[in-house]
Amino acid sequence: MIDGIHVAALEDIPVGEGITIDRDRAGTADDIAVLRDDDGSVWALNDTCTHADASLAEGWVEDGYVECPLHSSKFCLKTGAVQGMPATRDAITHRVEVRDGNVYLYPRSS
Amino acid sequence: MDRGVVVVGAGIGGISAAASLRARGYDGEVTVVDAGDFPHDRPPLSKAYLAGKTGAADIALQPEHWYDDNRINLRCQRRATALRCEGAVELDDGTMIAASRVVLATGATAARPILPGIEDDRIHGLRTATDADRLAAALVPGARLLIVGAGLIGAEVASTATDIGCAVTLVDPTEIPLSQAFGADVADWLHGLAARRGVDVHTAAVRGFTSSREGITATIGETSADFDAVLMAVGMRADTALAAAAGLRLDRGVLVDDAMVSSNSAILAVGDVASPTGAFTGGRGHWETARLQADRVAATIVGQPLQAGAPPPPWFWTDRFGLHVEVVGEMSSGESVVVRGTFGEPPFAAFALRGDKLVGAVGVDDTKAVRAARRMIERDVSVDAEALRDISIDLRTLLSR
Repeated sequence: MIDGIHVAALEDIPVGEGITIDRDRAGTADDIAVLRDDDGSVWALNDTCTHADASLAEGWVEDGYVECPLHSSKFCLKTGAVQGMPATRDAITHRVEVRDGNVYLYPRSS
Repeated sequence: MDRGVVVVGAGIGGISAAASLRARGYDGEVTVVDAGDFPHDRPPLSKAYLAGKTGAADIALQPEHWYDDNRINLRCQRRATALRCEGAVELDDGTMIAASRVVLATGATAARPILPGIEDDRIHGLRTATDADRLAAALVPGARLLIVGAGLIGAEVASTATDIGCAVTLVDPTEIPLSQAFGADVADWLHGLAARRGVDVHTAAVRGFTSSREGITATIGETSADFDAVLMAVGMRADTALAAAAGLRLDRGVLVDDAMVSSNSAILAVGDVASPTGAFTGGRGHWETARLQADRVAATIVGQPLQAGAPPPPWFWTDRFGLHVEVVGEMSSGESVVVRGTFGEPPFAAFALRGDKLVGAVGVDDTKAVRAARRMIERDVSVDAEALRDISIDLRTLLSR
């Protein structure tokens, strides 16, 4: 899949928000959260928080991080690195590209 | 010469202190001593862990290899019995561990009021995984459970036990428990959930118990009823035994300054056992408070500057009857309350305002509102009540004004 998965038009992901790409569509073990940071950039992480059963697509996205909606563990959008308990494991990241106003996802094989 | 740090207690405060010491570059010996089997988180003990939906590995604060990876010397199933003034911590097996600084993270114990008949092993407290294991064994479908105290833990266990199929009675002498924490309206609605979900709720005091082989008879106000198990969820008492023996200044906990240092400069305290006297207080008894204080402990020990400015607003969460509830700031210090969404129909949120400043927020299945509110409080932005109420307005846009 050289062109990646077309997941949305960029304008359909508001700044600070996220969407979930179903695992069946992504071909991955977990759903994928495609998140838009407040500088407009787009990032993708496994959707399920590594601590508890929460969707990071529902989290608060700001300043390079997504904050889990349940217990506020933060993950770096770029690297997936966890920034504080209760989560202790990093999130898995996936590559995203924006071309011609469209967002393409390149899921990391799992 | 630095002889290392001994952390007494392996809850969120103790483990966070150890983690922060390493994150801040501390290179000396770090030992964590705890009486329990393994360092675990406490919030799940009244929820998923009690329900059997998560196990010990899920509630471990850190994976096992973390302690080796970070050169943390973990001593579980051991009690610290004395803090020696020559710079050592004595354990119950006679071991002495040298320490230049001691971090007291001994937490608290579940309060057990002196009531007639309370000495029965079917009358539980809930503080540790061991407590939760014992209580879980009693929570079989059809079991009659009395919960004394409708605070966070009482209400959460009422929810968990109802899901299991227990017949739950919840008793508290306060008509609207937790009204300081949630604000009166939300507290009333949340407390009412229990009755609406089939819990037998009474506003009354429990006066005592009579035991028989068939069960425990509890005297509730002027009446009495029979139960298979009882949970006392009536608050906690800071575990200050070590601190008292070491001669530290105490009130209900160990008095500490803004650097988390006690009246003995070699001894610091964090979390439920600490009683901060300075500006950096945080919400007492809360998970996040312990975590934030632990980072200050580490900064003090390594001699790095403490984070200046106002402490972050207190924040906590609770889960009951399928709802995730979060509170930030202080609902009780508002002059007016604004509701976003339809009150009583989650998701909804309530904001407490003082003038044009937000001082608190509670979200019921509305974590975005709470995260926005937290930033409004931290950044001291002026907010318009009408805008908070208007669900067509993205709260994020109110932050940049």
